[in-house]
Order: sequence, then C-alpha cells, then structure tokens
Amino acid sequence: MSSIKDILTPFTAWKNVFKEPVTVKYPLTERPGAPRYRGFHKNDVQTCIGCGTCESICENEAIDMVAVAGFEAKDGDSGLRPKVDYGRCCWCALCVDVCTTGSLCLSNEYTWVDTDPDNFRFIPGVDEKSWDKNELGWKKPEGDYEFYGLKRVEMGELEPDERNHSFIEMIKGYSKQQAEKEADRCVECGICTATCPAHMGIPEYIKAIRNNDLEEGLRILYDTNPLPEICGRICTHKCESVCSVGHRGEPLSIRWLKRYIADQNPSEKYRAILETENLQKNGKKVAIIGAGASGLSAAHYLVKMGYEIEIFEKLSEAGGMMRYGIPEYRLPYDQIDKDINYILSLGVKIHYNVNVGKDITLKKMSEDFDAVFAGTGLHLGRSTCVEGTDHKHVYQSIELLRKITGGEEIHVAEKIVVIGGGNVAMDIARSLARLQKIKYGKVQVITTSLETEEKMPADREEVIEAREEMATVNPGWSPQRIEIVDGKIKGLHVVQCLSLFDETGKFNPQCNLDNKNFFEGDMIVESIGQGMDLSYITEDIKDHLEMGPRGRIRVNDNFQTSVPWLFMGGDTIQGPDVIHGIANGHKAALGIDKFLIEK
Amino acid sequence: MKKIIENLGYKFILYEVEYQRKNLTFVTVDKENTVQLLAYLRDYEGFKHFVLMTAVDWIEDGLFQITYILNNPKKKIDLAIRTKILREKAKMTTAHHLWNQVATYQRELKEMFGIDFPGSPRVNESFILEGWDNIPPMRRDFDTKKYAEETYFPRLGRGTNDPSEYMKQKLYPNE
Repeated sequence: MSSIKDILTPFTAWKNVFKEPVTVKYPLTERPGAPRYRGFHKNDVQTCIGCGTCESICENEAIDMVAVAGFEAKDGDSGLRPKVDYGRCCWCALCVDVCTTGSLCLSNEYTWVDTDPDNFRFIPGVDEKSWDKNELGWKKPEGDYEFYGLKRVEMGELEPDERNHSFIEMIKGYSKQQAEKEADRCVECGICTATCPAHMGIPEYIKAIRNNDLEEGLRILYDTNPLPEICGRICTHKCESVCSVGHRGEPLSIRWLKRYIADQNPSEKYRAILETENLQKNGKKVAIIGAGASGLSAAHYLVKMGYEIEIFEKLSEAGGMMRYGIPEYRLPYDQIDKDINYILSLGVKIHYNVNVGKDITLKKMSEDFDAVFAGTGLHLGRSTCVEGTDHKHVYQSIELLRKITGGEEIHVAEKIVVIGGGNVAMDIARSLARLQKIKYGKVQVITTSLETEEKMPADREEVIEAREEMATVNPGWSPQRIEIVDGKIKGLHVVQCLSLFDETGKFNPQCNLDNKNFFEGDMIVESIGQGMDLSYITEDIKDHLEMGPRGRIRVNDNFQTSVPWLFMGGDTIQGPDVIHGIANGHKAALGIDKFLIEK
Repeated sequence: MKKIIENLGYKFILYEVEYQRKNLTFVTVDKENTVQLLAYLRDYEGFKHFVLMTAVDWIEDGLFQITYILNNPKKKIDLAIRTKILREKAKMTTAHHLWNQVATYQRELKEMFGIDFPGSPRVNESFILEGWDNIPPMRRDFDTKKYAEETYFPRLGRGTNDPSEYMKQKLYPNE
C-alpha cells in the first residue's frame, strides 16, 4: 500500500539540481602526464644515425630498425630508424637513456585510442603524431648517469721533452686493464665497419678484447687486414670519425685497441693462431711489384689461397711508404718487421733491389707468372716550382724521409721551412725537429701550407704534437719565391691564401697579394704531395691500358686493368692511405683468384 | 620534512636519507626496525595513508629492497621507507596489521618476487598468475624473453635490420 509520502519523496531529489557536483565530469578533458612521464616515443630523425643501440637494449624486443624513405645509408648513418611496437613496449625508457645521439625521448602523452592494433606500431619522428611537439616527457637525465663511458682511456705517451731528441716510439700502448676499460665503452653498433676502407670487423675484435680472447681478436683482424701492428699505429682511423659514441662523448680509440691485440700476440704463435700452418699450393704463380701496403696485402691473401707469390721490391727492405715514409717514432721498424715476417713465413718470396723495367721487364713477368699485381705507390715528390726551388738546399720531404730511414746522413740546417699541410709535412717537420735538437740543441722548423688551420689535411694530433715538439705550424700562406743571397737561402716569401678551389671545385688558389709574410730559413723542404712513377709500364702495354681521371690508370671493381693479367692497387689508384692500400690489395687478390679460376 | 627526519633520527638508526624533492624523502633502515618505524610514523607523525609497497631485485648483491611509501595527508608529504633483505629464502615481517590493504601488496610481492610475509592473510594464494609454474617473474633471473618465445606466437609483420649488415648491402654489396 502506498502512502502520500512514497509519492512525494522522489521529488525531494530536485533540491540538489543547482548544487556543485562532487564527482568528476566524464570524459576527462585535461589530465596531462607528469613532466617526466614516460609516454609515447619521439625521435629527432635528422639527428638519429640508426645505430640500433635502442633495439639492442630493449628487453622486450619492442624495437625494429627499418628503412625509411629519404634516409640513405652513408658514412656514419645506417639510414635505418627505430620502429616501436607498443604491444611490447613497457615504457622503461632504457632506449632513451642509451641513445648515442640523444635523438630519442619519450613524450608525456599516454592516452591514445585506436581500433586498429597495427597503428600501435609506428616510426617515431616519421609517422606524425599529435605529441611530436610536446616539450614535456622523459629525457635522459643529466649528470653522470651514463650507460657507457664518454671519456677515452687516456693513452700514455712520451712527454715532448722526452721524445723531441730521439726517434723512440712516442705512443706507449694500452695495458690489459686500460684496453678492457676502453673496449667496454663500445656499444657494438657496427656503424664504423662501412666507413673502414677494409670493412674490418671492428665491434667483433673489440668484443674479443672485452672477453680477453686475443687470439680470436687476431683472427678477426687478419680476416680483413694483414698488417695490424702497422695499422694499429698509423691508420688514418676514419672509423673513429663516425663512431656513434663520439656523438655525445669521445669516440672509441679503435686504432689503439687494434694495436693492443696485435701487440699482445707473440709472432711465433701467429701461424698456429691463424691456422696457416698447412697451406695447400694450387700450382699458379702471381708476381707482385712493390712490397708496400697493397702488395703485401695482396700477397697475404693470395698465398693463403695457394698461389706462389714473388714480390719484386726496388729498395733493400720491404714496407714501402710505411717504412720509408713514416718516421720511426710513429711506427718502429721492428713492428713493421713483425707484420711482414709473418707474411714471409707463409712462403711469400721477396726479391729486393730489383727495379722492374730495368732489371726485369713487365712483359717478362707476364710470361713467367699467371698474373701481375702492381702496387708501386707514390714515391716522387712534387715541387711548388716557385722561383728558387732549383737550389741544392731545397729538398723533397719524401726523399729526406727515405734517407733518414736508410740511415743516410742528411743536411740539417739551423732554420728550416717546410711547405705542406699534410701528414707527410708533419712527419718531415717533426723528424727534422728531432735532428735539429740533436745537432743544435734547439728547434727552428716552421711549416706552412695553403690550407688554413681548420682545413689542413694533416691529422689533428699530428699538428698538436708537432707544436709540442717546438715546431711552428703557420698555415694559410701561399709560397711566392725563395730568397737567395750570395748563393745562400735566406727564406721563403709568402702571401696570404684566401681560398684553394673555385666554384666548380677546381684547384685554383686565390691570394691576397697585399698581405705578405717572410719565413726565415736556410733550407726549404717541399711536401705538397707525391706523384707516381709508371715508367716500368712499356709503351706496348700502355697502348692497351685505359686511363681514368687525373692521369690514373682505370681499374674495375676487382682492381683489374684493361690488360687482363695486370692488376693495380694502392696509392697509384686510390691516393695515399695505408688502409685503402690494404683493402685494394685484398680485393685485387680476390679478383686475381676469380680471374685465374675463370681463365 | 627535515624536522620529521631529525625526530626519527633520535628514535631509529637511519642509514641513508635522500631528499628527492620538497614533498618526497627516501629513508633506508634496518629490516628489524622497519615495521615499528611504520607504526610510529602512522601513529605519531601523521602518515596515516599507506600509498604502496614494492620491491627491487639487487641480484648482484644477493638482496631484495622493499620500499613502503606513506603519505601525510595534512602536510601533503610522502615518506618512503626502504629496507634490504637477503634474497635467498626472502622473508619479511608482515605489516598488514597497520593497514588492511598491505596484505594485498604482500600477496603480490610473494607471487612476483617470492618474498614471504609469514602471518599475512592469504599470502600464499595466487594473486594474478593463476597456474604459474615458473620462478617468480619479477626476479631478474627469470628469462622473460625465453618465456615469451615459448609461450606466445610472434606478431606478424615484424622485421628488423642489423645496421652493419644493412650498410654492407647498401654500400658495398660485392665486397
């Protein structure tokens, strides 16, 4: 039975109509994540280099490295970018904290509704999202919160006053502890491998150091580089310039780590470690002209494939520019010998003091051997040809370096001017500085180059070390003439050099003739590049050789010339660089093998 | 906050005090003193609200860290109490008598980390992992990847590239 009260009671609720509600209005319109909230990813794809470290660290395998239109693989950038699968991401942000370039971060956006689960896989920074412009969210914390060391393990070297009066090796090398600590900084991305001309397995051999398996390390080195003691000291280490760790810190000391592996393995164990004790011969013979980097490299890989190898070397010792061009304080002779002796131990023969073209003709070689590889290098100095260069105390750096190696006495004046801004110029300046220190007790060497300080082709450390040894480096000047009074050199007149190349990229130096300078000196050394001597290639062969740009002989991908039995590599083909020479020699060896199998 | 910590210091041994921000401080104490400290904070310092408790596996040190977060609603501040216990046969004094919901957290920690809280109601019952037959999954020696590969099917359409291999294909495929 109902009463009047039951009918009226519901209406009492109406009294609340105008009261402030105590509940929150739905849907939620505004509730941003906290400033450091770990929401959806953002990636600055222009800064990202696709090193894949985010993928490697992800415990949930939520990240794939995928190709993205508009990003090509190039030196220092794989062209890949991370794609995140939010079905697996747990928002831990390890990917952000390890990111080598700092391009990756998390926004504070966490709400997103979609009916298609595949939309929850996307490439941050490429697939546009509403939170791309959110400033807030998780970024790698500042301070010493780092997953890998940003600073290099310092390399011990002789102090300038310990080294400036002798040719003792100045770099001391890493200890086991130092090498392992340095190796520990590697993130194993492998971006460096493409940039290395020999495509060495860099992350792999660094890993071998971490695992203290230096025999494995040596095997990895020899897969692509049969001169590791040499390269471990004087390689131009292009790999280090693209090292992903170098984006936020100092790149790995890849060169010194390579040296560490080679230094730690005793030469008498090489053949056992590298499993080359029982090489089978295949009955074919290949001649190699020049025992430099490319020739030795080709010899090594060919002899391993079973070829009988004879090298014809013009000088009395093997090594080419590595021995005769690079001073002993950078590359001691016993280390060159260690690499070369191993190659000789495999059965490679070297005929020393043989001048191909005079003592034996190329034609005769082509008859006696199945193929010929020429790695004859750049051994002729170039002259600036300014007034006065015909004076007897104007020298070519390359000749002086060769004489210093050969133990010959050279003229060392009290005041010397070196023209050139490359590594060879630094080598001769620093060698002469040492000889001056020994002879006069003081250093008065000045080097000058067309290029300004920033554009000098020499490695930065070479310039710094030259200055530490009291040589003066004064770049940005163009030589005009050598002043000679009463038959004696007084110095070099120069004017300011403004630019080297014109708009078309052609070498065409522009100078400011009003800004003059004079470098005092009684001896001048020219070090502005080297040329090749191909006089051993006789006309009948030359007629069949196709030439490429800049007077170089054209070769195909296998370093084969248009004369099928003649292969060429090294500095004559790719310019002065040891590691390119080694890579050329290796590729030529594979090319020769292919050619002789198909023949 | 400093005042509260100073007071606590007279009554308990505090190992580490970390002022994370104005309204949040972390304090590390002995396992034996933890529960009495929680009771003291609740009854004398106004930390009436229990926010949460959680654990961290410091497998290298052979320890579990347990963290309790308490809130003082009047002063609007949080205080987190950390303690470390041995990882092997991990056992911790229960605190369910201070706040009822602690029992639920302790049940979860038993399941996820294998930390026992003797006397805690229903602590041995499954929390969310019914029929779990492996080591507790939040322990760091639990191989999540292996488990996932054995248990679930892979998502279609996924595929990745090794940067170094990819660069070889693109830049020097014939070498």
